[in-house]
Amino acid sequence: MDMTYAGAEPKMARRKRSAIARHAAPYLFISPWILGFLFFTLGPLVFSLTMSFYDWPVVGERTFVGLDNYRTMISDDPQFWESLWITVKFAAIYVPFNIVMSFLLAMMLHNITFASGFFRTAFYLPSVISGVALVTIWSWIYSKEYGLLNFMLSLVGIDGPNWLGDPNLAIVAIIIASLWGLGGTMLILLTGLKAIPKELYEAATVSGVPGWAQMLFITLPMLGPMLLFTFITSIISAFQQLTIALLLTKGGPLGSTYFFAMYIYDNAFKYFDMGYAAAGSWVMFIIVLALSLGVMRWSAAWVYYEGEVRQNDGDGHA
Amino acid sequence: MQNKTKSLIGSLMVLAMAGVATARAEETLRFATWDTDESLAIQQAIAKKFEEKHPGVKVQVEPYADGYDQKLIAAFGAGSPPDVMYMWNFPQYYTSLMPLDDLIARDAADVKPDDFPKGLMNTTRVDGKTYGMPSGFTTQVVFYNKDMFAKAGVEEPKDGWTWDDLRAKAAKFRDEPNKVYGFAVDAKPDPYDFEQFLWSNGTKYISDDGKQIDGYMNSDAAAQVLDMFGDMAKKQEAITLNLGDDTSGSTLFKGGKIAMFQSAMWSKSGIDSSGIKYGVAPLPKFGDKTAHSALGVSAISIAKDAAHADLAWEFVKFFSSPEAVAMRVNDLPVRTSVAEEKGMTTDPIYKPFFDILGTSNTETHAFLKNVNWGKVQDNLARAIEATMIDQGNAKQHLDDAVSRSKRLIK
Repeated sequence: MDMTYAGAEPKMARRKRSAIARHAAPYLFISPWILGFLFFTLGPLVFSLTMSFYDWPVVGERTFVGLDNYRTMISDDPQFWESLWITVKFAAIYVPFNIVMSFLLAMMLHNITFASGFFRTAFYLPSVISGVALVTIWSWIYSKEYGLLNFMLSLVGIDGPNWLGDPNLAIVAIIIASLWGLGGTMLILLTGLKAIPKELYEAATVSGVPGWAQMLFITLPMLGPMLLFTFITSIISAFQQLTIALLLTKGGPLGSTYFFAMYIYDNAFKYFDMGYAAAGSWVMFIIVLALSLGVMRWSAAWVYYEGEVRQNDGDGHA
Repeated sequence: MQNKTKSLIGSLMVLAMAGVATARAEETLRFATWDTDESLAIQQAIAKKFEEKHPGVKVQVEPYADGYDQKLIAAFGAGSPPDVMYMWNFPQYYTSLMPLDDLIARDAADVKPDDFPKGLMNTTRVDGKTYGMPSGFTTQVVFYNKDMFAKAGVEEPKDGWTWDDLRAKAAKFRDEPNKVYGFAVDAKPDPYDFEQFLWSNGTKYISDDGKQIDGYMNSDAAAQVLDMFGDMAKKQEAITLNLGDDTSGSTLFKGGKIAMFQSAMWSKSGIDSSGIKYGVAPLPKFGDKTAHSALGVSAISIAKDAAHADLAWEFVKFFSSPEAVAMRVNDLPVRTSVAEEKGMTTDPIYKPFFDILGTSNTETHAFLKNVNWGKVQDNLARAIEATMIDQGNAKQHLDDAVSRSKRLIK
């Protein structure tokens, strides 16, 4: 601190300091998150990019290999394409089902008047259960000989299949188990439904607009931002699917549920090929980023934000 | 309430352990093991004995349990490996381990290297150098339920029996309504152990120089082995394990649901406590070829940069000394002298384990031959599983595994 100020104008200096303190306060408040982000997200992210250019065994010498990891993966490793294809297949089925079913459940919960709190909790409950517990429950349900599902099927005279042992069915089993956790998505959509002003429906009803049209022209457009959000988060979670496959089927039978995340996991923690695994993570990151950006761009066509004024609205030329 | 107290004690213990780790005294020796439960207790007892003989030394036993390899490699990666550790995957770690040949030669009078069967010592060598001392081992056998054999009027297995004998016996136990079978075949066996069947049928996964799998892993002799197991499942001479169901072979055997069960020492204490009357038969032969067994060896190694190298070697020596080896009742004594002293080489339950050890120094496990074996093995495991699902077509699945593994073998 400058000596002249210190003697002559103590008050001003104090005021100055308090101004700094005032400005610093919000940054101090967000600093835990910022520091956490820098050290535990951004740092590792950049580090893993570096790793992906190396042959990086945990024990032994590291060697710089440039783009070799990426090249090997794409041109010389059938497992890469197989696991990517399985993940895409999973996402293509899981994402629409997740959103449509969440939406239907949210609609029902929005409209029922009896015990809605109970049902809301019941549907949300599976989302609270940790992945491992969830998988344990589903392994009991799916067991061929002693499982709940095949027992129920046997009551109606169906000889239940080997859910987790059949390469064609195992992925279906995983999709069903994953969909069980749609409570989170449902809750977001339910909040969205509750936020739609009642006046819109009242006005529509008075004008004699039928229910299906109200759904199409009021509910869906008003839910747009929520649907977009759940769409993107569903895609991300579909691509990162690991826990259920890892614990329920271990990627089998015959690798039919060997998801891309598991491919990365195995390269890192089974084969200890950290560089190769990091390259895989970056491929996943780029794919998810591209998909999310694509959806964002496409969303301009169907997502309506309240208060937004569209340039071509009402110009009559279209 | 009790639970709360327990978890409180638990967290205090964790804190205490963390304290020990940070306040490491000069003479604390870290020893990592993959064992749990009884086997862990035995090793802790051995460590205690060592502490008694070396006043002022503390052995910190670190049970990594499941995920041993992950935790160990993380410790190496972080630059703080345990001084002494259980080891099996020598090709992966040997560059970070201390070669022991000079020490063994120096202390030969003490160590008596000739007391260890040759086949066991072979599993700890890479490029002709020894990186670990065996401390316990197991070979593979067939357990059979004596009561079930007596009840069904089937003659018990004898030395020198063949797979045809096993299949003929197994067929007699089939009882579909009660889900009782003669034998169990595993759709997801550990490929490490599974190679014994290829050896027994005159082939192996990979050439001895580690550069060739075509004509080995997918040879007719290999396909014959897989097809045989597939056929046993098809003809219901055996139930198939691990096809969408986690029920283990030992659970079925202990529950009297299968009459014969192929396994190793690690199943024995469980079978003992189930109270069934059982016998042990050697692995069956393929025709008149010699039967070979996989060797499961728990060796113990020293980290190259161990902080207390001398102390670590003292511990390793003690760990494989007759005194410590005799304390290990959950696997088999690695010292011939101890086995003979305990009468195990003639005891009908233990004899088959030792008999087959004699033919187990002629083959080397695949992972010791090629550094990429871990990945190749996953393709192979898939071929085995595919054969069990198809109940045949082994040749096609093995060819597929070979072609998928080509890039890893170069």
